[in-house]
Amino acid sequence: MPGIIKIIEAPLKLLGEHAVECVIIGGVAATLHGSTILTNDLDVCYARNPANLERLSNALRSVHAHLRNAPPQVPFILDAETLQKGLNFTFATDVGSLDLLGEVRGLGYFADVVEGSALFQLFGYRFPVLDVAKLIIAKRTAGRAKDLIAIPELEAILQRQITNAVADHGPTDD
Amino acid sequence: MRKEDEDYFLNPPPGSAAERAVEFGIDLTLTLENLRLTPEERIRKLDDFITGVARLKASARRLGPEDAGDNQDN
Repeated sequence: MPGIIKIIEAPLKLLGEHAVECVIIGGVAATLHGSTILTNDLDVCYARNPANLERLSNALRSVHAHLRNAPPQVPFILDAETLQKGLNFTFATDVGSLDLLGEVRGLGYFADVVEGSALFQLFGYRFPVLDVAKLIIAKRTAGRAKDLIAIPELEAILQRQITNAVADHGPTDD
Repeated sequence: MRKEDEDYFLNPPPGSAAERAVEFGIDLTLTLENLRLTPEERIRKLDDFITGVARLKASARRLGPEDAGDNQDN
């Protein structure tokens, strides 16, 4: 079983090389913020504007992506038009698995998800990472046991982040 | 890392989210260890753990009654 770096490095480099607009969500985002929860896959939310869908489809074709949850005989043309017709995809590729979400339950589409995210430098590229408050909303909305057990620790991290932000910048109206 | 952050996770204030996390069963000393690291170091630590568990599973062998007389160090 490969480590998490192998699981996330090549897919992130692929997205970075093709300048795909996306935000890192899920367990990897939680880890980057300091959570101790375990994760073994990479989830990203991608922008659905035509130019980004073109870049994303080019990136996916370059690594022979195919749907993980569809039989091989089901025809699937990997282009921007197909991505536009779908929303959330789970791909197997030459560089590993990649889960692409057009919408995150509880948060919305890319513009809503990426708002307020922090930028992280990873493997030579800059990626927005879902902020802790939105991570909590997403996990609460998903509602599975594995999501719910992550929430108390994330809430403690969030409370500390808010306290530090107030100490550094003063209270906000939000 | 600020001293206040260390205090918050090591001695959670009454009624805080940290206190609720501890009551839930979260070991916040591990969270604090993670927060002392850079984001990239956090990923590497997770990577080391997952790789270590995989190695452990690959090398482990369940012992049966036939192993009872074996030297445990060998």
